[in-house]
Amino acid sequence: MDNEYIHVFINGQKFKAKEGELVIDIARRNGIFIPTLCYEESLKPYGACRMCIVEIKNKGVKKKITTSCTLQAFDGLYVKTDSNEVLKHRRILLELYLAQAPNPEKIKELAQRYGVKKTRFKEKYKEKDPLNNSCILCGLCVRVCNEIMGAGVIGFIGRGEKTRINTPFFEKSDLCLGCKACAEVCPTGAIKFIDEGNFRIANSWSNTSVELKKCKMCGKYFAPSKLDEKIDSIYYYRDKNNELRDLCPDCRRKVITKRINLITENEVEKYAK
Amino acid sequence: MRINTLEDLKYIRETGLKKLKPKQKVRISVGMATCGISVGGDAVFEELKEKLKNREDIILTKTGCIGFCHVEPLVNVYIPGKGILIYHHVQPKDVEKIINNLDKAEQLDNVVCQIDKWDHITSDEIIYGEGFTNIPCWNELKFFKPQRKLVMRNSGIINPEDIDEYIAVGGYSALFKALKEMTPDEIIYEVKGSGLRGRGGAGFPTGIKWELAKKEKSDIKYLICNADEGDPGAYMNRNEMESDPHSVIEGMIIGGYAIGAQKGIIYIRAEYPLALYRLQKAIDGARHYGLLGKNILGSGFDFDITISKGAGAFVCGEETALIASIEGDIGRPRPRPPFPAQKGLWGKPTNINNVETWTNIPLIVKKGGDWFRGFGNEKSPGTKVFSLVGKVENVGLAEVELGTPIKTVVYNIGGGASSGKKVKAVQTGGPSGGCIPTKFFDLPIDYENLASVGSIMGSGGMVAMDENTCMVDTAKFFLDFTVDESCGKCVPCREGLKHMLFILENITKGNGKEEDIGTLEELSETVKTTSLCGLGQTAPNPVITTLKYFKDEYIEHINNKRCPALVCTALIEFEIDQKKCTGCSVCAKRCPTKAIEGILGKGETFKIDQNKCIKCGTCLEVCKFDAVIKTSKGVSNG
Repeated sequence: MDNEYIHVFINGQKFKAKEGELVIDIARRNGIFIPTLCYEESLKPYGACRMCIVEIKNKGVKKKITTSCTLQAFDGLYVKTDSNEVLKHRRILLELYLAQAPNPEKIKELAQRYGVKKTRFKEKYKEKDPLNNSCILCGLCVRVCNEIMGAGVIGFIGRGEKTRINTPFFEKSDLCLGCKACAEVCPTGAIKFIDEGNFRIANSWSNTSVELKKCKMCGKYFAPSKLDEKIDSIYYYRDKNNELRDLCPDCRRKVITKRINLITENEVEKYAK
Repeated sequence: MRINTLEDLKYIRETGLKKLKPKQKVRISVGMATCGISVGGDAVFEELKEKLKNREDIILTKTGCIGFCHVEPLVNVYIPGKGILIYHHVQPKDVEKIINNLDKAEQLDNVVCQIDKWDHITSDEIIYGEGFTNIPCWNELKFFKPQRKLVMRNSGIINPEDIDEYIAVGGYSALFKALKEMTPDEIIYEVKGSGLRGRGGAGFPTGIKWELAKKEKSDIKYLICNADEGDPGAYMNRNEMESDPHSVIEGMIIGGYAIGAQKGIIYIRAEYPLALYRLQKAIDGARHYGLLGKNILGSGFDFDITISKGAGAFVCGEETALIASIEGDIGRPRPRPPFPAQKGLWGKPTNINNVETWTNIPLIVKKGGDWFRGFGNEKSPGTKVFSLVGKVENVGLAEVELGTPIKTVVYNIGGGASSGKKVKAVQTGGPSGGCIPTKFFDLPIDYENLASVGSIMGSGGMVAMDENTCMVDTAKFFLDFTVDESCGKCVPCREGLKHMLFILENITKGNGKEEDIGTLEELSETVKTTSLCGLGQTAPNPVITTLKYFKDEYIEHINNKRCPALVCTALIEFEIDQKKCTGCSVCAKRCPTKAIEGILGKGETFKIDQNKCIKCGTCLEVCKFDAVIKTSKGVSNG
């Protein structure tokens, strides 16, 4: 079994790994911190935020800086996650982030961690930015919407520093499921949704709105109907007549608790006999 | 008809030769690549067409560009038995003179040179005639003498829209040899042995690239011709496709056979309509003769080429972004690995080469790798076409052997600075390259040497700069381009370049601070090291090299608020030398903001109101007495 594994060295420590495994995964598994803003295990490697840069220091190979989220492990690979050069570049990258989006907690936190107190660069500020001047274009929202949800509601618009993320033509989208995966995955909390009456509105995505489902018991609006349909289309074997589906999480809990109680009562009776 | 045998090929070669050098008829061909058309080549062609309507003795055709763009429109006149005469700067009004004086054609005053014989390389040398007396041969001209035409072997001679003429000069004979006499491994062996390196810029050995693609096992493999040429001032690839499209196609078919690909795609920017048209015409021609499609030359090998149009994004010249673009995705680079040779277009093994790389392939197959190694130097064999532009006398396409010193290209071929000033630097490799100062002009041009001075070979752009060029402004120009063309995916390129541009803008506006130079250096380093693709990794080069070799200019801008080259408008002023001024008042009349006032006829009264002046330079242009001078804190052109 043992020869299926290779060994890599991270900051001088030896770790077992599989060939071709991403260095960032090996590091994280072993409790080594590498900062990231665009990495998510469940998505394809992307390599945009450049925060996870590491230095390859193999003997006989030219010293090279590359991103650990795209670097595939090979036997004997030797990387340093915080060499002086890596730190130098990471700090400048953080200055760039501070100029682009100074407010998000995540950015402030990383800047503090690496001792970046202020940026030398001109801060960007856009009036009426749907993403609240917090978007760092890491692309996680676009990727999760496309790769995981298969919805393709949002995409990149424009190019270079004019790139923005939104729905096509900045029009309301009728593809949105209202799942909020984009907001969930966003590292800077730039994406805003609000639930208003029987609608969930994506303020950041051209005010796209999605209808919410009403709880049959308490009448509260709880989940987007389209998301429900989407789940049905994937889990086609789901019991469509299950009454629980039309209940909000609170009422669902109540019903289930009641059922369990009923069973227990029955069983008690059974044993009593 | 389909070509299957050597006899078929020979038959078409004869047909083509009759068109190329007719026995009894005069053949007039007009240089009609985009460069020729843009200076009026099409008007000359139309005029000729009109005047030759009833002339049975004269054949009129189009041809590509021979490279001497500075003196276009060019018209080739072939006179049977004599050879080809090339006329320069031909205007529609000259047409009559040319067709009425065919018996003394060599006596006209705008003859630039003659071609008595020409080595098309893929065939035996073609003798066009015994020659004209007292007319220099083409290769005796200073412009052509240091050149060696391998890639441009047919450019400006044959009609690019006629496959027969390409076959006449030995075209598709390399394909015949490859399919009938060689195995794929033998071809790769020759290409590897030739030492040919990618002409798109990075210089990766082509043979090794092919070998990697061949090794991959897959039901489908793709071959791509990267024709997304986008460097400002560079148009080598455009000309190669417009003047000799079949050489690209022949190269691709051979490549497809060698690596086992069934489908070729030419990714070309839509801004090249003529190249697109001629490529499509070439593809149709090749299909007609059975050189594309099923069972090529009866060998059992199937291969076809389609064209994919790009929307002109510079970054789509990057392999992975190009693939994304063909797939209909947004043109953004993808991380490597997987490399295109493993998982490229539609996840299948894909081999991508530049236009110029493909045009070299038929030569290597026909003549062998060792023959190819006879050109250029040890590490960089072969030739390279440079588009020599900027402040040189002879603007045009120059094909030289690699290893030729920079100075030969700039001074011998380019003829030095056009303004009578001195050349100060050349910029190679487009926006990804660097500015090379004159002290390195002895340097032989090859991949390694250019890299050693901070520049790159790139696809072959070469922009000359003279004393009237401000290096800070130049760096700003290229950065402005890369900021615009950055795809916006990774942070260092998108944000870093933008801030570099801000800083440069401030410096050229006279708002530079002393610490700016340090910030620029630091930021350049980070962008270069941490960017995702080649665009970001090379985009700081113009800044890095100008900071290295022309730091004094930056310091002048920052400390003294002075632009020594008198370019940066915020730092210059226009003044009237009242001693020279005759009071003609032309400048005052032409000034768009009415900033100039004075009394007619009294030169000493004319003055420019600096508050109104927008520094457009019109006054300087229109003054016939050199009385308008440009100044910048003590420096002036007066």
